[in-house]
Amino acid sequence: MSKYNYDSKYLKGLGVGDFLNETKVRAKHIAEGENTIPTSIYNPNIIAKQLHPHFQLGIVKEVIDRKQAKSYVIAADKNRGFTELAYFEAGQYVSVTCEFDGKFMCRPYSICSAPKDALKEESTYTITIKKIDNGYVSDYILNNWKVGTEVTLSGPLGHFNYERLRDAKNVIALAGGSGVTPFVAMAHSIVDNEEDYNLTILYGNRTYDDILLKDELEALANKSDKIKLVHVLSDEVRDGCEHGFISADIIRKYAADDYSIFVCGPKAMYKYEQEEIKKLNLPRRRVRFELSGEYGDPTKDEKYPKDINDVTFNVRVWVRGEYKDITCKNDQTLLRAIEEAGIRVTSDCRSGMCGWCHSRLIKGDTYIPESNDGRRLADKKFGWIHPCATYPLSDIEMEVFPNC
Amino acid sequence: MSKKYDVIVVGAGNGGLSAAAYLAKNGKKVLVLEKHNLPGGCATSFVRGRFEFEATLHEMCQMGDKDNAGAVRKLLDWYDLDVDWVGVDEAFRTICTNKDEKYDATFPADVQGFIDKMEQEVPGSRESVTNFFELGRMVCDGVDWLAKHNNEPEGLAKIEMMIKYHDLMKLVPVPTDTMLRKLNMPDKARHMLESYWDYVCVDSTLMSFAVYAFMTYTYMTRKPFICKNRSHEISMAFDTSIRNMGGDIWYNCEVSKIDVKNNEVKGVELVDGTYIECDRVISNLMPHVVFDRMVDPNEVPEHDKRSMNARDLASSCTTVYLALDIPYEELGFRAYDTFLRSTGDNKVQYDNSVRLDTHNENCVTIINEVIPDATPEGTCFVQFARFYKEDAWNKDVVSKENYFEMKNKIADETIKQFEDYIGKPIRDHIEEIVVATPVTWARYLGTPYGNVYGYRPQTWDGMFPRVQMGHKEDYTIKGLRFCGGFGTQMDGYSQAYMSGMEQARYMLQDMKEGK
Repeated sequence: MSKYNYDSKYLKGLGVGDFLNETKVRAKHIAEGENTIPTSIYNPNIIAKQLHPHFQLGIVKEVIDRKQAKSYVIAADKNRGFTELAYFEAGQYVSVTCEFDGKFMCRPYSICSAPKDALKEESTYTITIKKIDNGYVSDYILNNWKVGTEVTLSGPLGHFNYERLRDAKNVIALAGGSGVTPFVAMAHSIVDNEEDYNLTILYGNRTYDDILLKDELEALANKSDKIKLVHVLSDEVRDGCEHGFISADIIRKYAADDYSIFVCGPKAMYKYEQEEIKKLNLPRRRVRFELSGEYGDPTKDEKYPKDINDVTFNVRVWVRGEYKDITCKNDQTLLRAIEEAGIRVTSDCRSGMCGWCHSRLIKGDTYIPESNDGRRLADKKFGWIHPCATYPLSDIEMEVFPNC
Repeated sequence: MSKKYDVIVVGAGNGGLSAAAYLAKNGKKVLVLEKHNLPGGCATSFVRGRFEFEATLHEMCQMGDKDNAGAVRKLLDWYDLDVDWVGVDEAFRTICTNKDEKYDATFPADVQGFIDKMEQEVPGSRESVTNFFELGRMVCDGVDWLAKHNNEPEGLAKIEMMIKYHDLMKLVPVPTDTMLRKLNMPDKARHMLESYWDYVCVDSTLMSFAVYAFMTYTYMTRKPFICKNRSHEISMAFDTSIRNMGGDIWYNCEVSKIDVKNNEVKGVELVDGTYIECDRVISNLMPHVVFDRMVDPNEVPEHDKRSMNARDLASSCTTVYLALDIPYEELGFRAYDTFLRSTGDNKVQYDNSVRLDTHNENCVTIINEVIPDATPEGTCFVQFARFYKEDAWNKDVVSKENYFEMKNKIADETIKQFEDYIGKPIRDHIEEIVVATPVTWARYLGTPYGNVYGYRPQTWDGMFPRVQMGHKEDYTIKGLRFCGGFGTQMDGYSQAYMSGMEQARYMLQDMKEGK
């Protein structure tokens, strides 16, 4: 009779009563629940907040003048409710928020202090900012930040940190200029016994006088056999230093059997090192580049349309159902144009990779350099962009999502 | 009309997106507010180097091909989601490494194939497994029938249910384990079958047999499904569809307060102080979170407090994501979803899963089995998920100081367990590694202890009683409804989508009735 072929003998002794009573039983259980609001905060929630704060408020505690750069020791700003800065993994950066000239901007800087400094009673980070030509935000910071300046930081970000299960026990760090900062933090974490690996820093500068954080680096190298520091000077021949750029030969000279390469420095250096590293025939997993920062002028790229030159496009930017009309030059990222219009849109890595500025392109053509296209597959499918690495090729209509 | 929106949806997770799509499709003006910069909640992906990792999706049920569409597939198609769905041909691979009960078997997603495979593994199991699936078939028909009656059959329909589905009604209150024993299923076969959901910390001595049979049978007849471009594709498709139907979605907009006065919703407030008037809110955030953090404590109804306290929070999870620089074929281990267990006994596994130092059961997922080009040539993904019954990452074990170390330790153990089984090292091939822990889920989902499955199913609080009370029994503030993986339909992607639809449908009904 039954259209199902199970043997009903197995259902013997089971009744429908329990089913018919289920809602009554459930209602009874609920009625017996306690009349209090249960907590929603447990240990993982607390740690999540400690390690991944949405933003952090700090105050400049000390400024160290280093000729062509300044280091800023930033403490958690207790007066504004921050008793600690988040503990982090050596190599991570923070995005610093600056507001001036009616513009709202963020810039990423590696933390160069010991992760342990963040755990101290007075919790601090140190960031070191080098003077560069036409540095807009960096100039602002170098000229304006002093002891007592209140600053807004992101939580610790980025993935340029040593991973025990992934990286070789020997790390060769290729540093250029202010790109040495994440390696300073890594050296600290080795000295503090937080991490256990051998770190050889090949540090490229023009001349001996250009070396940033020299004393601190040397002091760290003296404290641990695991840390080795080699200066590589391009414009000076000097005893005890390598001469030239950080070539494949120099890397080989200091490399062990199995090693990982970590690279952080200016864009020109990345181009050079990519070629040199190729000569070493390392598997990809052994080579890690820190994010390159802003892409710069895209118009010389092979894939950039030849007919677009020195044009200013109109951009309609939607925010929460209202729009603002702004302009953007063809060699300027949409993010820059949005920031300059004073729209408080957030960004972190500014390299196209972290996805924090994820925005909706409604209309228009864009150019996104392949090397900086960190979008997810579905973003491409549905027309979403990372404005920090997107250049307009026509008038644009888009929607952005400023932080609350 | 000062109110711009008919309904505000708080949270763009799977449930919230589905609720918003349902309302927008029905002509309502909706605003979705999401604190993160992306939609999806769990349904997302992340990029490391040259890889885009799937964050959470293992498989969706009640899907099926277009011409054999299950309830979820029909719903998502009705929302016009532009998603490239991919069916998975195998149900699961289950491995027990315990020397007293060694097994390693891969089951196809096909009823007859499954029965045959089990008979091959456990001779003499055929009759019991056949009975299991026949019961499953009946339960499935019953569930479909109930869904047609919005899970609350009235009048004549109720009588029809008594006649047609009295066996279903008998099976709902019986725990899975009890019923499988009643069916005389050999222990080994029962262990293998129960491993299907044990890994997510379902206690089969408490979970309703009807639900277990329903899920298993549906997977066998309509196959498990994933999508081509990681689950971020589903979430982005929802975003597009909701906007196409006139809805708005604001990202980076954290709601700090759901304004409730005299037991009625008045509006929501954002972290930056923006107040949006609205008398209906669907929360994709758990009641625990909403009532603890977002509603004036004086406005939390007694009944709602009791509802929360009567229930247990479900499991949280640690996931180890690996991208390896060897081709999948060279891994020497095939299968999309594998349960790698050190015990066959569900209850033992369940009890072990409460502590970091006793929990050693993993679900291994390899997307390349289903989507060969999910990674660049010569590489593959291997992901491990380990679910904890309770707050295993509690303060006695984990602090901010040892957190990074703990992540490494768990990942190390997990990888080692896998290496031991496949008999060769994979750690020399790790190009990218990411470890997500309950802290990670707490960060992104905001749930208590990074709980990913809402409220634990119990005999009195399983899918059937929840669904029957889904209209408005648990939470009583006028204009406030809850949907998501913690909802009436239980946890998981498909269930969250169904829950969003269900609560949106009830909200439409409320609007009509002026409730």
